[in-house]
Amino acid sequence: MMEANVNEPNRAASRTQAGAQSAARGKTQRVLRKLLLSEYFVLYLSIVYFLVLWPFIPRIASPQNLGNIFSNMWPLLAVAIGQTFVLIVAGIDLSQPSIMALVSVVGAAVMTTQLDPVLFEKSPLWGVVFTEAGGPLAGSFLAVPVAIFAMLLVGALIGWFNGTAVARLKMPPFMVTLVGMMFFSAFAIYLVKSENIIHLPESYVLLGQGQISFIPYSFFIVGALAIAAQWLLSRTVLARWFYAVGTNMRTATVSGVPVVRVIVLAYMLSGVFAAVGSVFYSARLAAGRPTLGATLLLDVVGATVIGGTSLFGGKGKIMWTVFGVLFFVLLDNSLNLLNLSYFWVQIVKGSVILMAAALDVARTRLLARG
Amino acid sequence: MSDVILSFENIEKSFFGVRVLKEITLGVPRGKVLGLVGENGAGKSTLMNLMGGVHAPDGGQMLLDSKPYAPRTPSDANDAGIAFIHQELNLFTNLSIAENIFIDGFPRMRWLPLLNRRHMRARTQQFLDAVELDVAPDTLVEKLSPGERQLAEIAKALSFDARIIIFDEPTTSLTARETERLFRLIDRLRSDGASIIYISHILPDVLRLADEIAVLRDGELVAHGQTSEFTINRMISLMVGRAIEQLYPERSAAPTATPVLEVQGVSQRGIVEAIDFTLHKGEILGVFGLMGSGRSELARILFGLDDHERGQISVAGKPYARPSARRSIDAGMAFVTENRRDEGLLMDISIAENIGLVALPHYAAASAGAVKEGRYYDQIGGVAESLAIKSGNIRQQAVKTLSGGNQQKTVIGKWLLDKPSVLIVDEPTRGVDVGAKYEIYSILNDLAADGAGILFISSELEELMGVCDRMLVMSNGEIQAVFDRSAFDKERILRAAFRENG
Amino acid sequence: MKRLVTALSILMAISMLFAACAAPVAAPAAVPAGEQAAAAPAGEQKTICFAYQDLETEFWVAGHKAIVETLGELGVTVIERNANEDANKQLEQVKDCIAQGVDGIIIIPQDGESAVTIVGEANKAGIPIGVFNRPPANDSNPTLVIVANNEVITQQATDYMAEEAKKLGRKVTPLIMVGDLGDPNAVGRRQGFYNTIEANPDLFNEVIEVPTKWDGATALANLEAAMQANPDVDLLFTSSDFMYPQIRSVLEPLGKWKKIGEEGHVILGGLDGDSRACQLMRDGFVDATGVQDLFYEADTIMQAMLDAIAAGETTPENWMDDPGFALTQGNWEEKANDMWGCKLFAEGGESLDRTFEMP
Repeated sequence: MMEANVNEPNRAASRTQAGAQSAARGKTQRVLRKLLLSEYFVLYLSIVYFLVLWPFIPRIASPQNLGNIFSNMWPLLAVAIGQTFVLIVAGIDLSQPSIMALVSVVGAAVMTTQLDPVLFEKSPLWGVVFTEAGGPLAGSFLAVPVAIFAMLLVGALIGWFNGTAVARLKMPPFMVTLVGMMFFSAFAIYLVKSENIIHLPESYVLLGQGQISFIPYSFFIVGALAIAAQWLLSRTVLARWFYAVGTNMRTATVSGVPVVRVIVLAYMLSGVFAAVGSVFYSARLAAGRPTLGATLLLDVVGATVIGGTSLFGGKGKIMWTVFGVLFFVLLDNSLNLLNLSYFWVQIVKGSVILMAAALDVARTRLLARG
Repeated sequence: MSDVILSFENIEKSFFGVRVLKEITLGVPRGKVLGLVGENGAGKSTLMNLMGGVHAPDGGQMLLDSKPYAPRTPSDANDAGIAFIHQELNLFTNLSIAENIFIDGFPRMRWLPLLNRRHMRARTQQFLDAVELDVAPDTLVEKLSPGERQLAEIAKALSFDARIIIFDEPTTSLTARETERLFRLIDRLRSDGASIIYISHILPDVLRLADEIAVLRDGELVAHGQTSEFTINRMISLMVGRAIEQLYPERSAAPTATPVLEVQGVSQRGIVEAIDFTLHKGEILGVFGLMGSGRSELARILFGLDDHERGQISVAGKPYARPSARRSIDAGMAFVTENRRDEGLLMDISIAENIGLVALPHYAAASAGAVKEGRYYDQIGGVAESLAIKSGNIRQQAVKTLSGGNQQKTVIGKWLLDKPSVLIVDEPTRGVDVGAKYEIYSILNDLAADGAGILFISSELEELMGVCDRMLVMSNGEIQAVFDRSAFDKERILRAAFRENG
Repeated sequence: MKRLVTALSILMAISMLFAACAAPVAAPAAVPAGEQAAAAPAGEQKTICFAYQDLETEFWVAGHKAIVETLGELGVTVIERNANEDANKQLEQVKDCIAQGVDGIIIIPQDGESAVTIVGEANKAGIPIGVFNRPPANDSNPTLVIVANNEVITQQATDYMAEEAKKLGRKVTPLIMVGDLGDPNAVGRRQGFYNTIEANPDLFNEVIEVPTKWDGATALANLEAAMQANPDVDLLFTSSDFMYPQIRSVLEPLGKWKKIGEEGHVILGGLDGDSRACQLMRDGFVDATGVQDLFYEADTIMQAMLDAIAAGETTPENWMDDPGFALTQGNWEEKANDMWGCKLFAEGGESLDRTFEMP
């Protein structure tokens, strides 16, 4: 008892101090919390990042550099939108880069106007789909639309395959799409024996390279698709089903949500959007490439998660993904302008993605506390 | 030694500016059982979390053995001899009982970084004997029933010589027999000198076990005294702040003779056998059974979540094959699951979207089409209002922030937009406080009066007797008996329920 | 929804703003570049962007070192970009370089097809560009190119190997490890090899082709499988010297990693002329190697680039040939000192005296 009495004043003092500290901490915490949970957090982050770097690398604000950032964004955004759908239903699509590679080969095979027999004679498509005189639609005015349609179709088919394996056979998405990544990229390489298909029609190449007074075509197309995707994800029955499935699949099942169809659709959208990205990437390089996008996976998942879409499912918005992609492209661009070596670029990018994942956990916790 | 082991003195606690504990001053009696009751949100859990080192009080202090006690982490609380037996159990299901008991400090071989497994097993066996759990120490926790897990957790508490053991709703997932065994164990722990805090909504249990009872309401201690000073009715009035004349609402309409759900010979090997019954329009048909009797499994089969091998289910005279949740919903069925957290609600999503989820397709031309949001949210608002779900903004507030009773009302609300003709409710009042229970009974009552047939599954016989028109009693997957309201008799019903089960 | 549209429109507005600014600004932006070129003789600091696909092998490391060091000595600022084998990334990196207003660009492209597109970007911006060692797939866009005559160099090496094979007095089974056939270098080397095979129809059985994609792990796996299926291979040509460790780890357990003159020796040859090839020839494991004259190539492309910048050319075009040569056990004494790999090897303090008896 004595001891307790002696300790009492000290304890009281330390308690008041702790009280003051915790009040100050409470305020910063509230501000931080508000910022972290804000929809525009990543946009603010991008702006702050840009402004901080400006004095150090003035080049970053040069019109040409901004033009580069602006045109690098859209193909990546297309792919990331697809990933957003899958993440919302608590999945993940690692096969997107392989989808991009395969569809770029498929599209190019349809519309190429000339092939070098030395390179392609060994391809299983030689004499079946294409010959020395190019693809089946070489030179036709239908070549480009049909090729793009074929690309989207193949993307959708692979997505259907992934989604069916995940939803119907209950296989883990990580496994299904990892195997998909290996399988489809190998298949793309097999189809053309690792050759790049060039001699694509002028109008197709223009899709990737053309612009209307500094605004690339890709902006108009991907921008329109982003708006359509956001509409789909906010106003429709499907939207609510996506989030329901991603939040709690069992509740969704009991509530009569067609869970299997919703998941399959998410993966199909992922495939189609990967194909859209592939159109721009392959048009930009003017070639169908069996290795297209091989290093893009981290960028896509990274940008989407940085935007705020949760890896745990049930949470995500197209607008967040737009901001995430903006931040990621800005980051990449600035690291290049800083003349950092490749390894440093990778290290910094990796750290940023890790930070984004940590942020995701922090946000989830904050939200859980209500 | 004073006869108070731990005391709270003027304890204050707020979360985000809301005072959840107001000037609580309360002593926990030494070597006795303190029953702690109150509605959800009354502050019971917060008070216990302060003791357990999960939160720190904003004001006031705790004294343990008359010495200031300010735990910073749960392990501080453990070191002080305070053990928690939680509603959601805290064992690692992939480890054995012995490993769980020693998880905080494995006994080592002297000098060697090896576990002394023999010692672990022997000690664990002692604790298991003490709680009368008759399984080997090496048994994996995942192999244990919920009741056995509870006992394993108590064994863990014994392993660190807990002086104060807190039981938070320990019986929600226990069978009647397991509950009996738990009570005997609590009695013995008390006679061995442990101090116990027993938190429960099941008031008769509290009356039976506790030496003293404390009642919390809205963060205030409204009563504390010897158990002899309390009756169930007094506790309820204290908890809800008004006198409740009756526990169950009056039936407002009589059942009709029009069948809405006909079940013929439904069987699934090892689960249910030859289930036959008819549910009528406007009827509340109770299904009583002990845990493992097949009552919840039957509900899942009827709603099409699980398969059945034989038998026919007809809704409104129309049989349907290959049932699925969607088909059941389209046929006019609704299913309020017993597991609202995992199956009933999207906890992170708003109340409005939860209520809208089932009827959603009816608010758009096509499933990919836009939802007609005006009508959609209007009608959801109507449902929330008619159920008196307490929320400032049902479109913003996530459902997980609601109290248990309001969550349960939301689960029911999900089905009301479609005006179902058959409503299957499984344990709708589990984990719900007294006031909300009454509201839920009234809601079911009103739905029946509006012409729905209600299949009311419960393990609480009292409420079935209070609410139902008829009652089926299940045991071992079969219907053992059917009682009309006039023939309700607790003893006969229980006898039927225990048949086969022994 | 509305907010997304707003966000997109703001992004567009920003870019429109810059489109508007860019017209007047782009001209001055171009002027400094021109000024720099004009002022270059007066000692203005010049900047060259060096974008390479990766630095996986000794050949690229040595080439990279030669280019960066020589340019540094000449007082030129070098901006380096590593694309990690991603053609799209390289395109973006070159565009970044262009945005920075560099005076010239030297690339080691991922493959010939992407080289064409990247060269086109530089052409559009009016910045001279040179391609090192791995030429564009076609000459539709003007560029400086330095490339080894792979077909001829390879054939010189494989002809020597064929002569050695004839001494065995029986039909031999040849195996070639081919590179990424999207790379004209790989195509040329393969062609040179086949020229030798076709010139000796009675000497060789059917050719076994092992694809490597210029990748060590792929090479190892495919060679292992091929040797399982065809244990009787007695002549092996690798399209690049960097794959010798893989070859050794496959041949050694089969008892086929033997010096010249020993029982079970597989006639080995390759192309590049790196230091490992030099050592293996000195020690008698390898019979011949085709040599690209790396230092000559680096010097040539740099000189051409600096000349073009000095002359103010924006789209210089010149395909330059590295004649190369084949180093064989037959001409070791007179030629070993000319091979870049042997120079690196000797710089490491090693002796070039042969350590085995020629049969």
